[in-house]
Amino acid sequence: MKGLRKYLTPFAPDQSGAASVLYDLGGILVICDAGGCAGNICGFDEPRWSTQRSAVFSAGLRDMDAILGRDDRLVEKLAAAAERIDANFAAIIGTPVPAVIGTDFQALGRMAKRKTGLPILSLPCYGMKLSDAGEEMAYDALFRTLAEDTTEADPGRIGVLGAATLELGDLSEAEEIREALTAEGWETVSLYGMGASFREVRTAGLAAKNLVIAPSGLKAAKYLAERFGTPYEVRYPVEDPRLEALDLTGKRVLAVHQQVRANSLREQLRMHGAETVRTASWFRMDDSLSEPGDVHLAEEDAFMDLVREGEFDVILADDTLRPMCPDFRGLWLSLPHFAVSGKQVVV
Amino acid sequence: MTDRQAVFYTASELTARGKDQIPSELISGEHLIYNSPASLLFNSPGAEGYGVKRAGLSVPDSVMLLVAPGCCGRNTSLISAMPEYHNRFFYLMMDETDLVTGRHLKKIPEAISEICDFLPEKPAAVMICITCVDALLGTDMERVCRKAEAECGVRVRPCYMYALTREGRKPPMVHVRQSIYSMLEPRKRDPRAVNLLGFFAGLREDSELYTLLGEAGVRTIREIGKCPDFDSYLRMSEANFNLILHPEARFAAEDMEKRLGIPWVELTRLYQIDKIHSQYAAFGAAIGAELDDGAYFAEAEREIRRFRKDFGPLTIAVGETLNADPFELSLALLRAGFQVGEIYAAPAPEQYVYLRKIAAISPETRIYSNLEPTMLYYGEGRIPADLTVGKDASYYQPDAPNVPWNSDVQPFGYRGVTALFRALRSAYAGKETT
Repeated sequence: MKGLRKYLTPFAPDQSGAASVLYDLGGILVICDAGGCAGNICGFDEPRWSTQRSAVFSAGLRDMDAILGRDDRLVEKLAAAAERIDANFAAIIGTPVPAVIGTDFQALGRMAKRKTGLPILSLPCYGMKLSDAGEEMAYDALFRTLAEDTTEADPGRIGVLGAATLELGDLSEAEEIREALTAEGWETVSLYGMGASFREVRTAGLAAKNLVIAPSGLKAAKYLAERFGTPYEVRYPVEDPRLEALDLTGKRVLAVHQQVRANSLREQLRMHGAETVRTASWFRMDDSLSEPGDVHLAEEDAFMDLVREGEFDVILADDTLRPMCPDFRGLWLSLPHFAVSGKQVVV
Repeated sequence: MTDRQAVFYTASELTARGKDQIPSELISGEHLIYNSPASLLFNSPGAEGYGVKRAGLSVPDSVMLLVAPGCCGRNTSLISAMPEYHNRFFYLMMDETDLVTGRHLKKIPEAISEICDFLPEKPAAVMICITCVDALLGTDMERVCRKAEAECGVRVRPCYMYALTREGRKPPMVHVRQSIYSMLEPRKRDPRAVNLLGFFAGLREDSELYTLLGEAGVRTIREIGKCPDFDSYLRMSEANFNLILHPEARFAAEDMEKRLGIPWVELTRLYQIDKIHSQYAAFGAAIGAELDDGAYFAEAEREIRRFRKDFGPLTIAVGETLNADPFELSLALLRAGFQVGEIYAAPAPEQYVYLRKIAAISPETRIYSNLEPTMLYYGEGRIPADLTVGKDASYYQPDAPNVPWNSDVQPFGYRGVTALFRALRSAYAGKETT
């Protein structure tokens, strides 16, 4: 049945994706909710939360705030917090509640900017899209609002777009990306959303090149190319070391992850002799990056049918998908995807 | 670096202002709500302990269908991974069209049928959990559940996870306590049967409450968390009276009184042993029995004295993520001869009865709100604790030994006090004690 989940819990939503991109940039993040969404974002979708403090707040909306549309009250609370918190900017991130009551995020942003004097990112997430949609929105707003004009370029600097925690398996993969790009000769690696500083965001126009490692970074890469002339490339720069030891000659392989990671795996799998490699993703798939036979997944049944009918010898996917393949007898290689499996322990 | 500090008020400052002048920093509705590991219980009650989702599933042999935007069910995989919740959580995810048309409500019977077909055994009940979205849409979930029940031939009940109403007259955790008893139907009453209401996992087995009730003539004590199956749950309607152990169960008890004719009595969880004694005396008088609690009183008193004697007037920090009223517990600790440097909990007006006494003994005790934005800067200038109680307190003072005191199985009465002081001893001494 469409929309029914019997095996999987829902994946990370758009508001978690947006918060993930902005988490360590020193801003005030206001989740426009009653509390539960902010709790889920931090308690479940943000692995840095237990070790790295960030000014993430719930708007603490109550029924009468929603019914009466008291945006002014939210702005007052934000202004009061901004007086007591050191912040570079503020972001107002939507959830299902403002979606239902039709909150005008642009107007809310303007009111908040007037009241606080801070740059404001208005991000109308609504909890029914997935994390990649929120990441895309946050990256786009971040550079449009905060990047400074420049005509110069730093030939040793590369910007990485799409490196939000939810697009990775765990935090250590961010360091692997940094090391891989350093080994390629880049002196400065700006992982936006995963360690790049607020200053690096402001000077994003200096990067000699941008690397898109997940579809969520594609829109911002196009924007930066248009505004600063920065070229971009789409690939995941880290190879999977486990594949080195495998003889995949003649094998049929399925790789399930975010599209760019899955595509880069496909190249590596082919180099190791795989006969056919299909990629699939629960998240956005860009047509320009797809090959015939690639599958966008929406329902559990679609994934189960794909596995059953694909007769794969090898599957690379997040382990939370494993229970849906009880009859699969091939090689299952765990490929964690934080937006799918999330945190396995609280705090 | 910043020289900013977290806002706090001393106990004497708060009592001087009075319960009608609580500072805005200590009122959650007056400011943005900070999201730290210490405030997780407030922001995402289901992430740990019992939120609406786990609470709804305390009905034996039930399953839950969460009908909501995907984000509302995101954190549930942590719970689903627990063996007792295997195959008990299901999700019907709403999309944008559902939001506009309300068509998700029409899909519920089909989803329930598919779940029943999927499971090896038909569940005794399907709890439908709905969230803020349906609160705003004004969904009549009672009607939707009745319709689904008629179509699917299985009991269907609503659980309202309406975070928007958390400070209202009937917040979600009050509502869900009513929901879980709503399937009880009138039965012949058993004068020797009692229900304990308020907790989902039940009391610690060593609580003296069981013995005292037994000595008062009670032969059967039922708790929803200890009912092995749906039939034994249904027998809760045989109770002579309900004993409320958590104030959020009052509404459920009133509902059961109205529907099933079961009267109720309420006991408060306390850590001051003289007050526990007074409460048992009053309770005994109310049910016409003399409760002999002397041995339990003496045991708890001995444990407190031994800890105080062995370790001296330790400075203890008290959080709110724990099985106690943080202000009553702080008062108990102060009266037992310990120092309470900091309390991480915003007082409600009804807690001023404790706060005034805290101020009289320890006027400089600091009160912080976990939820206040400047808690981002907590740390500089804090009062170092020798020991912390409450999971949130360990976040603030990570170097001090901590007793989380937040287990699902609940402490109560003297034996709760005894167990707490044994846990404090164990944590402080760094080893298990007998």
